[in-house]
Amino acid sequence: MAVSLTVNGDERSLDIEGDTPLLWVLRDELGLKGTKFGCGAGLCGACTVHLNGQPVRSCSTPVEMAAGGQVVTIEGLNDGDQLHALQEAWIEHGVPQCGYCQSGQIMSAAHLLANNPAPSREEIVAAMTGNLCRCGTYSRIIAAVESVAGAESSGSSQGREA
Amino acid sequence: MAMNRRNFLKVSAGASGSLMVSMTLPGCAGIQTGYEPDTGEWRPDAWLELTTDDEVFFTLARVEMGQGTYTGLTTLIAEELEIQPERITPRFAPVAPEYRNPLYKLQLTGGSTSVATSWEPLRMAGAEARQMLVMAAARVWSVKAAECQASEGRVVHPNGIDSMAYGKLVALAAKEVVRGDIALKPRSEWKYIGKQRGKLDARAKSTGTAVYGIDVDLPDMVYGVVSRPPRRGGRVRDFNADQVRAMPGVLDVFEIERGVAVVADKYWRARKAQDALQIDWDFSDAVSLSTGDVFDSYRAAADDDPGESERSEGSFASAMEAGDRVIEAEYAQPYLAHATLEPMNATAWYRGDRMEVWAPTQAPDLGRVAAARATDLGPDDIIINTTFLGGGFGRRLTQDYIEEAAAVAYRTGRPVKVIWSREEDTRHDLYRPAMLHRMKASLSGGELTGWHHQIVGPQILDWYVRNAAPAQYPWAPKFMYDTLGSVGLMAEGIATPKDISAIEGAIEYPYQVANIDIRHTHTDPGIPITWWRSVGYSHNGFAVETFMDELAHEAGEDPFQFRRRLISHEPRHLEVLERAARLADWQSPVPDGRARGLALFRSFGTYVAQVVEAGIENGAVRVYRVTCSVDCGQVVNPRIVEDQIEGGILFGLTAALYGEITLQDGEVQQSNFHDYPLMRQYERPEVLVDIVDSTEAPTGVGEPGVPPVIPALGNALFALNGKRQRSLPLKANA
Repeated sequence: MAVSLTVNGDERSLDIEGDTPLLWVLRDELGLKGTKFGCGAGLCGACTVHLNGQPVRSCSTPVEMAAGGQVVTIEGLNDGDQLHALQEAWIEHGVPQCGYCQSGQIMSAAHLLANNPAPSREEIVAAMTGNLCRCGTYSRIIAAVESVAGAESSGSSQGREA
Repeated sequence: MAMNRRNFLKVSAGASGSLMVSMTLPGCAGIQTGYEPDTGEWRPDAWLELTTDDEVFFTLARVEMGQGTYTGLTTLIAEELEIQPERITPRFAPVAPEYRNPLYKLQLTGGSTSVATSWEPLRMAGAEARQMLVMAAARVWSVKAAECQASEGRVVHPNGIDSMAYGKLVALAAKEVVRGDIALKPRSEWKYIGKQRGKLDARAKSTGTAVYGIDVDLPDMVYGVVSRPPRRGGRVRDFNADQVRAMPGVLDVFEIERGVAVVADKYWRARKAQDALQIDWDFSDAVSLSTGDVFDSYRAAADDDPGESERSEGSFASAMEAGDRVIEAEYAQPYLAHATLEPMNATAWYRGDRMEVWAPTQAPDLGRVAAARATDLGPDDIIINTTFLGGGFGRRLTQDYIEEAAAVAYRTGRPVKVIWSREEDTRHDLYRPAMLHRMKASLSGGELTGWHHQIVGPQILDWYVRNAAPAQYPWAPKFMYDTLGSVGLMAEGIATPKDISAIEGAIEYPYQVANIDIRHTHTDPGIPITWWRSVGYSHNGFAVETFMDELAHEAGEDPFQFRRRLISHEPRHLEVLERAARLADWQSPVPDGRARGLALFRSFGTYVAQVVEAGIENGAVRVYRVTCSVDCGQVVNPRIVEDQIEGGILFGLTAALYGEITLQDGEVQQSNFHDYPLMRQYERPEVLVDIVDSTEAPTGVGEPGVPPVIPALGNALFALNGKRQRSLPLKANA
C-alpha cells in the first residue's frame, strides 16, 4: 500500500505492506539505523520513537498506523549541529556502555521532558522503566536526565520536538 | 622498564607518507612485524598510523562491547604518544595473527583481559612513536632530542616557543631509528591515565550514529531468517518450499546445516514467509531432556565419581575425623542466557573466490573458521569486518551466527543480513552451564578445619574447541578441523591451557584452612554452553560465598568477622572486605524489614567485596543498596571502572532474581523478556563503588562485579528470614 508520513520533518512516501512494523520502515526503507531492534514485542524499548508526540514501540507499530503521522527518531532530535540537551547530557555523563539501548532511552527521556520539564526522581524512574539496559547504565541515565531537568528551568535549548 | 623494544616494535614507512608503528608482544619474537603495502597485511598486535594531515589512527584489537576498550586502550597509547585521546581515531582491527590475545593465542576479547594485556605493549608503542617524532624535530632544529618535549600532538623546541605538529614530522620520523630502551613515563607525569575523562564513543552512541552489526547496509542487500530445530539435534525431514517461495518478496527457501533459511528482499517479508514455513522435523537424534533430568544426571555422576582432584592440601578426611561437626550443603544453578540487547546477526557476501563478513563478534578469527566451514573457502579467503557490539557477555565468542550467515550467503550470492528474533536468540543461545556443587566442611571448636568442594558439570572448552582449535592454525586444511578439535582437547593442559571454566573461583579458595579438597566431576548433558560474563566464577562464587556464610552461622560468628579472621593473610582481600563493611556500616542496625549480606570474591585478578541490603516487599525480593569495594590495580579510567562494576552488579542481580533457562522434553521454555526478564530501572538499587587507589598492574573489571553480588543477596535474605537458599534464582517465598 502507499503510505505517507513525516519523518524528522521530511515528508516520505513509500509503497509497502501496511503491516510492516514502523521500525523496519525507518531502518531499511528510510536508512535511519539509529532506532534499534531489541525484542520485536514492545518489551525492551530499544525501538522507541515519537509518533505524533507520543513515545511508541516502533517494532510493534504497523506502518499503516503511522500513516499521515509525524515521526521523530533519534536522528531528528538534534537541531542541525546542535544536539538535544539530553544528548549533550548523555555524552557529559558518559552514559552509554554498549550503547545499543540508548537511542530508545533518550527518546523516552525526551518525551518525558517535553511534557514535564521538571519531573521528580520518581517520575523519571517511572518514565524510564520501559527501557531495558543489559549493561546496567540505569544510574547514569537518571543522573543525565536530572541534569537536563534541572537546567530546563534556566531555559537551555531542547532542540526539535514533535 | 627493562623490556627490549626490538623484540616487539618495528617501524616502517607506509603508504601515503604515513608513519606506522607496529608491534608484536613479548614472547612472539621472530614474527615478522610491520606493514606490507603489496598485500595490505598488517603485522602488529596493535598499531598507530600518523598521517601528514595530522591525523592519528589507532587500530583497536579488542572489540568494543560496552566494556570500554575504545576509550581505555586509546588512553594507554595516547598517554605515551603525548596527544589527547580525543584526537585519536580508533579503528576496529581486521583478522591477523598479531592481533591475537596473548593469553589465548586467539583474536578474542573476553576474560576481562584487555587492559591487563595491553598495559605495557600499548604504552611502549606510543612511547616509540613519540621518541621518533622528537628525534625528527631535533634533527630539523639541530638541537638535542633530549632537550625537546612532546606535548599535545606537537614537539616543542628547547626554547619553549617553537613547535611542530606531529603531522609535519611524519615523513622524517619514519626514518629515525630508536636505539636502546625507552623509559615509560612515571605515574606522576600521567595526564590521561587514571584521570576522569569522557568516553570516546559516547557521542556516536548518543546520536544513533554508532554502527552495530545489525546496522550494516550494503548495495543490493537482502535479508535472511533461519528456522532452527526446537530441540537440539533435530533434523529437517521436509518443508513446504514451494508454498513459501511463492510468497511476496521471497527469493529463496533452502535447507542449511542448522535448519531452513528464508531469504527475501525485506526483513519483514522474510519473517512473514517464515511464519508460513512448515517444517517436518526428525527428532530421532534430538535432545529430549528436561531440566530435572539434567540435575538428576549431575547427582548420579556426583555419587558415582568423586571427580578429578583440582586442589588438595592437608587431609580433609582427617579433618572430618577430628572435627566435632561436619556441615554439608548442595547448591544448584540453572542455565542462563546472555540476552545481549542486540540480537545475534551477521551480514555476509560470497563473491566466488572470497567472502566478506560484517559482524558484531568477540572473536573475529574464529568467525573466519566458522564462515570457512559453511563455504568452499579457507579462512584466508574470508574477511571479517568487526562492528560495535550491542553487548557481548561471552555470547559473541561463539560464532554460530556467522557460520549461519555464511551458509545463507554462500547460496544467495548477494549480500545477505541474517537477523535472529529475540525468541530465536533466547532459545538457540549457548548457555552459562547449569551446575551442581557439593560442599562439606569440618568445624572444630568453632574453627574451620576442613573445606571440601565437589563441582559437578560440563567444561566449556569441550564446546568451544570446535572453532577455536582451527583458528589457532589458520593454515590447516579444512578436512583437519575436526581432528584439530580433538587434538585441542587432548592437548588441554599440555600444549594448550587447561580448561578451568568449571572450577575457576573454586580452586583459588582464599581462606586460611589447613585441609582443602577441591574436585571436579566432569559430566555433560549435551546442552550447548559457552562463556558468560564471569562464567565459572559466577557459579562457584555463589557456592563458596554462600557456604562460607553458612559456616559462619554454624560457628556462631558474625559473617564479616568470620571471613576477616580467615583472610588476614591476604592483604588485598582484607582491604576490600574491611572497606566495604565500613562503607556499608556493617555493624549498624538495619531498618525494619531489611537485612544485610556480604560476600568477598576475587576474579580475573580483581578483588571485590560487596554488602547488599535487601528486603521483601509485596511478595518480591527488593534490593535497596549495594556497597562495593574493588581493587583492580592501577585504574585507567575511573568512570569506566565504576560503570563496569555497577553494570556487573546489575547483571548479577538479574541472574540472582530472575535468571533461569529451563528445558521441557528438550525444548527451551523461555523466549523473550516477559519470561526471561532483565532488571529494570525501577528495581535498580543504589550502588556505591569504592575503588582502592593502587599502583599494582591493572586487572580486569568487566566481569568481577558479577560473582559476589549473587551470594551477598542470598546471604542478606538468610539474615532476613533465616531461610537458606541453595539454588538460583532466589525466591521471596523460599
